[in-house]
Amino acid sequence: MNSQAPAPAIRAVDLVKAFGTVRAVDGISFELAAGRIYGLLGPNGSGKTTLIRLLTGLARATSGQAEVLGVRMPSREVLARIGYMTQSDGIYPTLRVIDNARFFAATYGVRDKGAVMEALATVQLADRAKATAMDLSGGQRRRLSLACALVHKPAVLFLDEPTVGVDPLLRVQFWQHFRALADAGTTIVVSSHVMDEADRCDELLFVRSGSVIARGSSLELRQGAGTENLEEAFLHFAGDVEVTR
Amino acid sequence: MSLHRIVALFRRVTLEIVRDRPSLALLFIAPLVMSGLITFIIREGDTPTIDAVLVNQAGLPGTLVAAQLGMAIEGEGGSFEILDDEAVARSAVERGDASIAVVLPAGLGTHATAQLTLITGGLDPLGEATQVGKLQRTIMAGAAAASGGSLPTIRHLTVYGASSDDPIARFAPAIVGFFAYFFVYLLTGVSFLRERTGGTLERLMATPVARGEIVIGYSLGFGLMATFQMIVLLTWVLVSVRIPALGPLPEFAVGLGVASAGSAVYAFLVVLLLALGAVSLGILVSTFARTELQVIQSIPLILVPQFLLSGVLFPTSSLPEILQPLVVIMPVRYAVDGLRQVFVAGADLGSAALLANLLILGVFAAVFATLASLIIRREVA
Repeated sequence: MNSQAPAPAIRAVDLVKAFGTVRAVDGISFELAAGRIYGLLGPNGSGKTTLIRLLTGLARATSGQAEVLGVRMPSREVLARIGYMTQSDGIYPTLRVIDNARFFAATYGVRDKGAVMEALATVQLADRAKATAMDLSGGQRRRLSLACALVHKPAVLFLDEPTVGVDPLLRVQFWQHFRALADAGTTIVVSSHVMDEADRCDELLFVRSGSVIARGSSLELRQGAGTENLEEAFLHFAGDVEVTR
Repeated sequence: MSLHRIVALFRRVTLEIVRDRPSLALLFIAPLVMSGLITFIIREGDTPTIDAVLVNQAGLPGTLVAAQLGMAIEGEGGSFEILDDEAVARSAVERGDASIAVVLPAGLGTHATAQLTLITGGLDPLGEATQVGKLQRTIMAGAAAASGGSLPTIRHLTVYGASSDDPIARFAPAIVGFFAYFFVYLLTGVSFLRERTGGTLERLMATPVARGEIVIGYSLGFGLMATFQMIVLLTWVLVSVRIPALGPLPEFAVGLGVASAGSAVYAFLVVLLLALGAVSLGILVSTFARTELQVIQSIPLILVPQFLLSGVLFPTSSLPEILQPLVVIMPVRYAVDGLRQVFVAGADLGSAALLANLLILGVFAAVFATLASLIIRREVA
């Protein structure tokens, strides 16, 4: 029997990011295993995006360290294996759908046209490949944004509020994609302030004021708070509301 | 029409401007700085120091004129030397040892038709015109004293090409250089700002793309656009095609048809290097802007000084002494000078002056590109 635990896909050790006197990320530590979907849940301004930016190497930690796939961030070396879908669409509106996907594929060193079409097909945009991005609906632009993050088949995928402004049907489709990717071994970190998406994650990290205030599956967290409602569970761990059994 | 709605709109517009501090500062400060700078240049502008050589073919009357001229020039800190031969004097101007050569003809003071010759380089038309104007007054006063009233006529020649009567010929190199810079800077600044505000820069920085690769990619893209722009602009400036009269339409010309002594290829090289610098400067400045309006508002701070201090409007040699250190750091100045070398002096890559301008423009492009690369990461993070 092999007693050695597999290396975590993502690791944070006492991670701090301060902007002046404000600590947007305040001493977060965790390990996230490969092939699972993790939800960063918390209100706006709780530090989720800053945490993702530290993990993707877009921001430098004030102290502590972040590791992705065993590499300390920030590091360009590991970026080819990371996908990042930003909160804004992050696409070029005057370019065609396929040109956007091709461009981001090229930045990751992917030259295979088949991979580009595969990513567009995954988000059901293959038939709009020649449309100009600015002519797409809001939901289609989010799909294109996701395709650009998937085009190089990353081992770790960071999704910052991926379903904001997305209609319920598309949201279901998005989560089906995320689950399929996780089943194929991709580690996914999704930030959201929408609690009803939490049940789709394997594990949740409640984030409040730059700290992880609780961690566990949706069921574990609700049981721990003694409530059926995840929002009430969040408030319980945040210490804002006394939940009565 | 509702007064209430109009007031609401008025209030909103005013609040928007008041809360946009950079716009507010530029709205009030930029006009003061610009008008102050122009006034300072005009009021305090120095007549460039005159380094004159004189060839006296007029004998005794010429000696009197030369003495008067020498005293006037040396009295203002210039240099004055008498040479024997017009060809030697011309060479001195060509080499840059003298800024102007004066040839006093035989018959000065005795023949009413005597023609006095002033020779300048021709590369700095406005600056040279100032020198010629100043010398003319002293020469005429001396000639009048020497001859008892008989005044010679004066002709102005330039070493490089004949002094053109076409007024645009003096400005064409400056116009080409400045407008190339202006549009490339503006286009890059706005494009890069969109890259930031649209979230694509953040996404790009999360890919293995290096900062330097972004700047080089931008430079190549906008460099290509600048190439096409320059092909069109240089063709427009240098070529003139006469379209014959057709039916009710009279004959007309397309293109400015400015005469150039040198090859358009070298002019293109100068402008391309200038444009590459403009791309990086555009990126650099756009990182400090939050809106497209702010990029446009950077024009009075970044582009107008280049317009005023690069010899486009005022000759650099006549700018106040205190502004001379700024003149040295204006990239457009080297482009204008390089283009004049090509257009007027017919310079090619064998010309040290042109090579120096190309080298300096290359250094500017490299420095701006390095600074832009360094600042991108800080801006995103």
